[in-house]
Amino acid sequence: MKNYQQHFWEDILPRVQKATRYLGNELNAVAKDHTRATMKVALAFPDLYEIGMSHLGLKILYHMINENQQWLAERVFMPGDDLEEILLEEAFPLCSLETVTPLASFDVVGFTLQYELSYATIVHMLTLAGIPINVAKRGETDPLIAGGGPGAFNPEPLVDFFDFFLIGDAEEALPEALMLLEQNADLPRVQKLTLLANVDGVYVPSLYKEKMGDNNEYLGLVPITADVPPTVKRAVVTNLDQAYYPTEFVVPYGGIVHDRLVLELFRGCTRGCRFCQAGIIYRPLRERKLSTLTELARKMVRATGYEEMALSSLSTGDYSDIEQLVRELGTDLAEEGVSLSLPSLRLDSFSSGLAEQVQRVRKSGLTFAPEAGTQRLRDVINKNITEEDLLHAVRDAFAAGWTSVKLYFMLGLPTETDEDILGIASLARKVVSAYKQAGGRGKPRITASASVFVPKAHTPFQWVGQISEEEIVRRQSLLRQAFRNSGVQFQWHGAQTSLLEAAIARGGRELAPVIVRAAELGCKLDGWDEYFSYSLWQQAFDEHGLDIETCAQRQYDEEEFLPWDHLDAGVSKRYLLREYKCALRGDVTEDCRDSCLGCGMALLLKDEAQKGVCTSADMD
Amino acid sequence: MRIWIEFAKQQPLRYLSHLDLMRLWQRAIRRAGLPVVYSLGFNPHPKMSFASALPVGVISDAEYLDIQFAKDISEQDLITLQNVLPIGLLISGWRIVPESVPALMALVRAVTWVMPLDEPIVTVQATIEQLLATTELLVERKGKKGIKTVNIRPFIYKLQVEEETARLLMLLASGGEGGTKPRELLELLQVHPDSNLRRTETLLEVNAVLQSPMAVLLKEKEVSINAKENHYQL
Repeated sequence: MKNYQQHFWEDILPRVQKATRYLGNELNAVAKDHTRATMKVALAFPDLYEIGMSHLGLKILYHMINENQQWLAERVFMPGDDLEEILLEEAFPLCSLETVTPLASFDVVGFTLQYELSYATIVHMLTLAGIPINVAKRGETDPLIAGGGPGAFNPEPLVDFFDFFLIGDAEEALPEALMLLEQNADLPRVQKLTLLANVDGVYVPSLYKEKMGDNNEYLGLVPITADVPPTVKRAVVTNLDQAYYPTEFVVPYGGIVHDRLVLELFRGCTRGCRFCQAGIIYRPLRERKLSTLTELARKMVRATGYEEMALSSLSTGDYSDIEQLVRELGTDLAEEGVSLSLPSLRLDSFSSGLAEQVQRVRKSGLTFAPEAGTQRLRDVINKNITEEDLLHAVRDAFAAGWTSVKLYFMLGLPTETDEDILGIASLARKVVSAYKQAGGRGKPRITASASVFVPKAHTPFQWVGQISEEEIVRRQSLLRQAFRNSGVQFQWHGAQTSLLEAAIARGGRELAPVIVRAAELGCKLDGWDEYFSYSLWQQAFDEHGLDIETCAQRQYDEEEFLPWDHLDAGVSKRYLLREYKCALRGDVTEDCRDSCLGCGMALLLKDEAQKGVCTSADMD
Repeated sequence: MRIWIEFAKQQPLRYLSHLDLMRLWQRAIRRAGLPVVYSLGFNPHPKMSFASALPVGVISDAEYLDIQFAKDISEQDLITLQNVLPIGLLISGWRIVPESVPALMALVRAVTWVMPLDEPIVTVQATIEQLLATTELLVERKGKKGIKTVNIRPFIYKLQVEEETARLLMLLASGGEGGTKPRELLELLQVHPDSNLRRTETLLEVNAVLQSPMAVLLKEKEVSINAKENHYQL
């Protein structure tokens, strides 16, 4: 009889399209002997290979775990339709890529939680793997199902199918958790989980229950035993410069979405945009040293041969020594035919000097994110850039030879009026005029993209409901009209995917059975237009007595318990509320790099030397 | 310095497309630290090309890369390059090529293929005899401009079964002046394509004689047949 590996490679692969997704033998992929490993982790990304392989977090964890001789990590992604069909037909379980091992044979299966629209896919993958979906139904031999990433900051809609979550930076907390599991491999499942629940950053949902008041009102989550902490503190890597960073990236064969090296300059952001969850959950600001970065960059190119390297961070231009870094890297990399890209440059940190360094090998388009169309609304969201910043940046870029600029905006931000919406079109028109003023020839390629605002947990806008579907459609059509004959290509997104995102993003435990039901009905890969079915999701919500739009529009009271209150992201609820009130008044808050605003982060940082810009405790 | 590299693409990499393979070589060459000449222009790309595209899912002993380096290349550089290639790509030869010789891609005229047969040899032999007796073998090809009917009989130079090994041997025209691919022919033969279908030779043509790129004589612009090495008379 053939083993899983032989059968998959010899009989299944020849029947699928895009077989290079499933080969698992890409350059720098690691395949180890399972019989010798003391800790076996499957890293799962609930989307297709092309998306999952573009994600930095997965690469960090993959190589970090494999650095340990005794441990192994392998990858698994959601299979395409053709492979899924074969797996179901043959009752062949979902396996890891590297050694074609069924997921059920791993100790831990860790899912990346990047976006709400991937949640039904998680249920699909567990089903394909033959692992019981419900935590309560899992036995001693089943793997522990773990989740991490931004989605873990409000994990309640997923609690039915996850044994534990890792909240925050994984570089230190994950090895600590895995070591604990390795040392206590013989303990029963529930005892392992109780031990894990005491690791900073680990949340074990089955050890917490909902507390209800006299009038059946929700009073938050409380531990069911005394030996787990009442709140879970986020895991923070205090010294990013010394933290693990991979250089031997796996190099895919086929083109993936972001097929390039990624160099993470720093984590955290000091700007304080009020809609931005990443700006809160990755605090505090932690930079890698310039010498560390240039050394990493050199090794990465040598180990992979990649032709492009992206300098990545929440706001890359804010790196303290950005000019110097780009000058040094630009020179080194240009010699090897490698181009640099800066995917997230803020308008006010853009300079023509930077631009010239970046365009040395290949010139790609530029992307800027003014987010809102008027100064008033930009003040509300604390996006501290002006119209003049934008026009100055694009004039510089046009003068340096760029002809293509992409602008990102959001619709439906709190307090938005029609005037703000029309402001988006008029701002984009001014960018077109700036091209002519800068002496550009022909027509520039200006694209404006407007997504729908989704309020997120752990942000100053966490209390706010989303606008209604009808209103989204009206505002999109108003903007579409305003863009007529503007010379700007306008792109917008479907209202319904944003509604579903919003419904899940601030939801509680009541949503877990809804997601399982949606997956049963066939929902998967919802981030792809060709798969997304709003009506199936509506049916799943409806069967559980819920409604997508009502959930999305839910307005929380200031005093109300929120489903994520037991998770301490480091920034206090009081600070978020203060920011929310400033937003409603249109008051801006300065960059916290200049002076600490007392968001609460300082309390989470144990080591005085690592507090950096976080100098004061909660000021309220 | 311009060189031609001969290499095999083996089982572990059979699913790579032409584009995937090109990307893989470009990255391997950068890992080896060998400087390639880049084209000028808005989006510079390395000056390298394959002799002919290999269909996805097929393995080959005879793939060729035509490539311009910005420095002189030595045997040691080729060893370095082999060391950074993934399992499944094996360099089997290389030669220095005068700059004025036309691109390898433009010189290819024919390809030999070998495939193990599952079907009874006698049946296949009978079908081959029927096919070769005709002067016209029409197949339909789907192109950008719709369906086109092509006579592939002139593109079949040799088609036979090797009885001892139960393998099908094919010598087929390929390249810019027309040709046919095994898949097309196998359909006419009613033979199931096997995963061990293998390209064994890629051949250039001079005055109706076919020879491997590694064997032909190269002098300035001229390509000529090396009578001392293996060659086929058309």
